[in-house]
Amino acid sequence: MNEEEVTLRVDGITKSFGDFRAVDDLSFSVRAGRIFGFLGPNGAGKTTTIRMIVGITVPDSGSIELFGRRINGLTQDHIGYLPEERGLYKKTKIVDQLRYFAALKNLPQKEADRRIDRWLDRMQLSEWKNKKTTDLSKGMQQKVQFIATVLHDPDLLILDEPFSGLDPVNVEFMINVLSEFRQSSKTVIFSTHLMETAERLCHDILLVNKGRKVVAGSLREVKESFGRDRLAIRIDGGSQVLDDFPGIESVFEKADEKILNLRPDADPQELLQRLVTAGVRVTKFEYVEPTLNDIFIEQIGGAK
Amino acid sequence: MRKFLAVVKHEYRKVVLRWSFLIGTLLFPVLGAGFAFVPALIFSLKGEPTRIVIVDQAGKIGPRIRANLSPEKLAEKQAEAFKNQSFEPTVGPKDSADSLKGLSEGFVFVPFDTNGKTDEQIRSELNALAAEKEIDAYLLVPQQPDGKFEFLSRKAGDFIATGAIDDAVNDAVRAERLTAANISESTLRQINQKVEIDTKAIDEHGREKNSDALLAASFVIGLMIYISLTIYGQVILGAVVEEKETRIAEILFSSAKPFELMLGKLVGVGLAGLTQLGIWVTSLALLVGFLMLQTDIAPFLAGAPHITPLMVVYFLLFFLLGYFLFASIFALIGSMVTTVQEGGQFAFPPIMVMLIGFYFSFAVIRDPSSPLSFWVSIAPFWAPITMPVRILAETPPFWQIALSISVNVLAICGMVWLCARVYRVGMLMYGKRATLPEVWKWIRES
Repeated sequence: MNEEEVTLRVDGITKSFGDFRAVDDLSFSVRAGRIFGFLGPNGAGKTTTIRMIVGITVPDSGSIELFGRRINGLTQDHIGYLPEERGLYKKTKIVDQLRYFAALKNLPQKEADRRIDRWLDRMQLSEWKNKKTTDLSKGMQQKVQFIATVLHDPDLLILDEPFSGLDPVNVEFMINVLSEFRQSSKTVIFSTHLMETAERLCHDILLVNKGRKVVAGSLREVKESFGRDRLAIRIDGGSQVLDDFPGIESVFEKADEKILNLRPDADPQELLQRLVTAGVRVTKFEYVEPTLNDIFIEQIGGAK
Repeated sequence: MRKFLAVVKHEYRKVVLRWSFLIGTLLFPVLGAGFAFVPALIFSLKGEPTRIVIVDQAGKIGPRIRANLSPEKLAEKQAEAFKNQSFEPTVGPKDSADSLKGLSEGFVFVPFDTNGKTDEQIRSELNALAAEKEIDAYLLVPQQPDGKFEFLSRKAGDFIATGAIDDAVNDAVRAERLTAANISESTLRQINQKVEIDTKAIDEHGREKNSDALLAASFVIGLMIYISLTIYGQVILGAVVEEKETRIAEILFSSAKPFELMLGKLVGVGLAGLTQLGIWVTSLALLVGFLMLQTDIAPFLAGAPHITPLMVVYFLLFFLLGYFLFASIFALIGSMVTTVQEGGQFAFPPIMVMLIGFYFSFAVIRDPSSPLSFWVSIAPFWAPITMPVRILAETPPFWQIALSISVNVLAICGMVWLCARVYRVGMLMYGKRATLPEVWKWIRES
């Protein structure tokens, strides 16, 4: 990995609230021009970590570097942050809110006005420019919040559950916008529970649980590392054979299939032979790549 | 700095561009004028004249009562009452005469023949007349000198008419008794003449001041500061809770320092408050100036307290001191609670402190140079209300004003320091209200 490519480097950060250790010695780096999936169950420490990156809170120990500099008030201007719990001023005009958020990112008003018009037009919200938040639907509010996040053209975009509450058309639309961002070699950190979306969008992933790193790497690497010993089979009966076979670590039911995780020393060939010998009808027997969802459930579910 | 100014601008616009600000700014002077003029206006409305029958079979007191209820006599009586009132800004000398005339046209005497009728007959006949709305009231004069008068009216709630009858009867009986004791009417008037006491204060330059007008002006100043502090404290509370409730705080904190955001909010809303007070002070000055030009009212205003531009500056300065002290407390409360309703409950203690300060201003008006007045006009939290009152009532030496300002500026620094600590943590605590021990921990740890 090239040094110049790294947008964000998080090095051994820890954050505790009283006796509760929300983030525990977490290190990772995010490469420029990539979409980075920051995944984990509720309470894994995702939001706490993000808050430290955007400078809302300070880690107890460890360091965070953005473009090779320790984060400070100035680096904040290069980050666009869309929090999971988000809101707008209820009785303020949309255009005034956007202007305010832009001003807080040090964007000159003239430039801000131009970009506001452009974005509102793109999001098909132009006619709502002078309306108040309470006049907008939930989906429109989401879009306004997204505009507020990207108005200052940030180099690093941090989105916490950006698609919750959006209809499929708007999700598709947002995904397009995100791809554009990536093409202009900006970096996106994308935190979500939706593994399908993550799988579709992310280049790299980091799975955390209880404040610690569980799995990290590019999507490809991660999948490959989990895919070697995984079989998807479809059989009629034969559960006794599976029970007796020593090489199986765990079994997941998935629709009419079974997903088998094998021990490294197990021989799938032998399993197939045993099944056939036992007269079990086998309609599917193949190596599979795990989905992110599988990895998530396996890693987190097992840990719980 | 640019971000700070952006916050100031945003908060200022948010308050000033609301309808409630415009209405509040206009409403206060209108309400003030209303309190001043409306009662006078209502009382000056001419009611229907009261048609009254006076039954006086002895024929001694009746004519006196009738004379006492004549328009001239009533007007005279009213004028006397007006003169005896200590301070009456509601009625200027010009329109007072009109309103008195209006009141005095209140009685029409209806003749009634009592010859050969028993008391019972008279009563039932008069009751019948009243029932037919031929008359409004009747007065039965007793035949014995010490008997009981009876006044029966369809409009017993008309306290002005009832009061006039009461006075007229009393005066008539007293005059009758005096005549019986051989004291003439003119001697009586001389004896009854009221002694006039003209209350005036002497300021430190030995000049006389009208203390009645001073009392009223001091009271108004105290009230204005108290009300403004309460209103703008609530504005701050609402703004902070909104940002916490809607989670906007998270976006804000990822863009600017919490201290910048909090201070910007306090300054922005404070400027809005100052704008409102400025509008009030300016319009008041214009009104007074305008009235001064009306020559016939000028003598009435000559009694008004002399307010110098320096006093206005002090007045605005102390408003600002009070504002920053209490607004930072309200910001702290706003960041602790989860909803506006919850904030309302916690706003009670600081409002009580303000209210006590407002009550202290009465003590200050009574005796501006007492030790109590000295201490409450120096003490933080109370000085912003009591010091302007004291300055107006009797300007204290400059060192006391300077001391008061310094003490309160120090208190503000302490409060802002404290609040910034709580604000930073409190704004990101969702779901439950922070307890006081928790708040204490945040202050210690940050």
